[in-house]
Amino acid sequence: MTVPILPTTMVGSYSLPSWLERLKTDHFARRISRHDLDEIHDCALRSAIKDQEMAGLDIVTDGELRRDNMIDYFVERLPGIHIDRSSKKFYYDFYDSEVLGKIPMAALGLVDDFKFLLANTERETKFCITGPHSLCKRLRNKYYPSDETLATDIARVMNMELKELVKAGAKLIQIDEPYYSGFPEDLSWGVKVLNALVEGVNAKVAVHICYGNRYGKPSWEGSYGYLFPTILRANIQQLSLEFARRGGEDLDLFREFSPPFELGAGVIDVKDQAVETADIVAERIRKVMKFVPAEKIVVLPDCGLVHLPRDIAFAKLRAMVEGTKIVRKELGP
Amino acid sequence: MILHLNHTRRDSAAASTSEVVGTFLTLFEEGHLTSAQFARLQIYLDWLQYKQNFREPVTVVQTAESATGGLSRMDVRIDSRQVSPGSLREFVKKAIRPAHLGAAGAQERIYLEDFRSLRTSIVWSFNQLYWQRLKDWEHATGKSYERALPGGVSDGHNPQAISDSAKEFWKLLKELDTYHQLPPEIFILEIGVGLATRAGMWLDRFCALDQEFGTQYYPRLRFLLGDYSLSTLDRSRPAVKNHIDLCSFIALDALDPTKTLSFLRHKVLHVHSSNVYDNLPDEEVVWRDNRLYWVQVRAYIPTEEAASIAANCGILPADTVRTVKRLLEVGADTLPEHEKGMAFWMSTWKAIRFEERLVDALDLADAELPTGLSFQQMEDILKDAPGELRFHLSSGALESFRNTLPLLHPRGYLQVQDIFVTDLADYCMGFYGPGKLDGSIVNWVNGALLREVAHRGGYDLHFVPFQYRAGSKTSILYTTQRE
Repeated sequence: MTVPILPTTMVGSYSLPSWLERLKTDHFARRISRHDLDEIHDCALRSAIKDQEMAGLDIVTDGELRRDNMIDYFVERLPGIHIDRSSKKFYYDFYDSEVLGKIPMAALGLVDDFKFLLANTERETKFCITGPHSLCKRLRNKYYPSDETLATDIARVMNMELKELVKAGAKLIQIDEPYYSGFPEDLSWGVKVLNALVEGVNAKVAVHICYGNRYGKPSWEGSYGYLFPTILRANIQQLSLEFARRGGEDLDLFREFSPPFELGAGVIDVKDQAVETADIVAERIRKVMKFVPAEKIVVLPDCGLVHLPRDIAFAKLRAMVEGTKIVRKELGP
Repeated sequence: MILHLNHTRRDSAAASTSEVVGTFLTLFEEGHLTSAQFARLQIYLDWLQYKQNFREPVTVVQTAESATGGLSRMDVRIDSRQVSPGSLREFVKKAIRPAHLGAAGAQERIYLEDFRSLRTSIVWSFNQLYWQRLKDWEHATGKSYERALPGGVSDGHNPQAISDSAKEFWKLLKELDTYHQLPPEIFILEIGVGLATRAGMWLDRFCALDQEFGTQYYPRLRFLLGDYSLSTLDRSRPAVKNHIDLCSFIALDALDPTKTLSFLRHKVLHVHSSNVYDNLPDEEVVWRDNRLYWVQVRAYIPTEEAASIAANCGILPADTVRTVKRLLEVGADTLPEHEKGMAFWMSTWKAIRFEERLVDALDLADAELPTGLSFQQMEDILKDAPGELRFHLSSGALESFRNTLPLLHPRGYLQVQDIFVTDLADYCMGFYGPGKLDGSIVNWVNGALLREVAHRGGYDLHFVPFQYRAGSKTSILYTTQRE
């Protein structure tokens, strides 16, 4: 299946319903079994996939509704990490996790998640994981000499998992690295780790870098200027950045540095519940096109939709799709 | 009969308790209470912190029969502060009479509204009138509103506290500057400005710090003074006249600052308010037998007092309700003579009392918790609470808090100086409002609920007791980012 020009997709997560939030927390309080929670997740994921299809997205994700947050889902799967399970009261809290020894190689079990997505849609798919830099920033490192060495070892383990995902049919894999924006001084080694992560992975690789979306608010502010030129050394095919909330000032960087990769342009503000009109979305896309050719643009929200109510998240996706259609029409056949 | 000793004074608790027990037993023996009533009696002995409040010395709290099989109790609340030795018997007899006589009780009271949640009571219109026409009130009393505060001064104006606040903010800017993250414009918001005394002192101190260290942050400040009263904003200008070019005076609703300032979403580095939350619309609930009950109130003026007020102000007693409505629309000039209008306002406000009743939340189709708080969250919060607890929802404070957070820059923080109940269990040990403070309402703020809402919004809340004045009851709330 091919996607049209200006393909539309989500960054990764879809609206987490309050009832699911409640049930996840009930699981941590031992009121719901793992088996029941898995079934609940399956239903929620099918619904999220269906919503994306109904909204008209060209590329769909699983909505990431199995994940408590962007860190713990992966930390729990990384072997050798000590997790204090009593540290989480609310499902969204981060565990206190410590690295006490070398992280051994092991399968992370993400392939099953991808297969579930593949089995429930006929659209093009994208599978998203949190990158080693972001993960290492949430771990208490008591073994490795530096964050860089810890992240490199995480990348080594995850690289194997990415290859397994490709074997299972993944064609587009997104690495989420929002912590780059909080620790711009790490970027140089962060890119090295990123390249280690994707080495030999035979799929299109996108990297999503935003300014944080924890609790639906930004964690940092600044300019994407810190990314350049270092990010040009990354062996990736797509860079996904947020522009809707922050405005398009940083788009100039794409003119200045002409990166070889596609731009995943955030045109939906996920930190504001006001639903954009299709015209606003179209205008935002046109603005991006002044700096990047349409053939190299992917249309998506600024970040995950996890903190938005479902009706608003859906309406925003619809607006995004409709706005994209306006611009496609202007571009002609 | 069960006696709840809630908030008592150590020096008078024993005497009050024995008088209460003796009085009710005697009234029962004399036939003023039936056996059924006596068996259902729940007596609450309180010591109300605020001398001016909305309670009679003895109040019978009605209990709306619940469709789900709820309450069938007779709650009597006694304000031991208002009851002098030997007077309890008459107060109790008076209080239980309407319960005996039903509608006949209405003859003793002029009602200003139907039963409703405190949040929508007419008393908030009086509160609003006070702030909108503060000059009139101050002129009539001959003293500024600050002198009505306990201690006669506002902790918000403490020079050392203000100096420390300015220094703390300067340090944040310095840190952001070090990491090249300092925005070109530095937004600060003060919600509820009063006379801007604090704002003026804060800016003086910040300016001095900036000059001392040569950091050039001061010219980049954008100091926003927000208040819902335009006249208050006008009155605040002189206090910041030395910094007027950096200041903007903005009419905003403290309940929803983001509505006015949405263009500053995620841009404000410091939001401050002082003595605002305790004056925002509030309501009370009761947690009892694992159920939530709304405390509904009905404001009234005792008929006897209304007659006296009417005589003094030259109106007919029958015109009391109409005159109150006009007063709330146009102020003291509702009467031909301004002085009489003021007398009507002040004496009516002083006379207003509440009837109360409890209604099961399940029976209220429109029962809503403040934004950001769900019934499930509330159950989680209350699961470890004492068996029975009456507490504030702090609806207005929660709404304001929740609607302020989106303005904060990722490194920004909110500081609120106010009176907080930081632990729900504290509601068992003291009375925290509503009280009357001059012409306004005062309620302590439920910090425990604020903490819960903050947590879900991505912030940790910290309450630091105000250390700059011995005996101060205020605390400073500040936010930090929750990881």
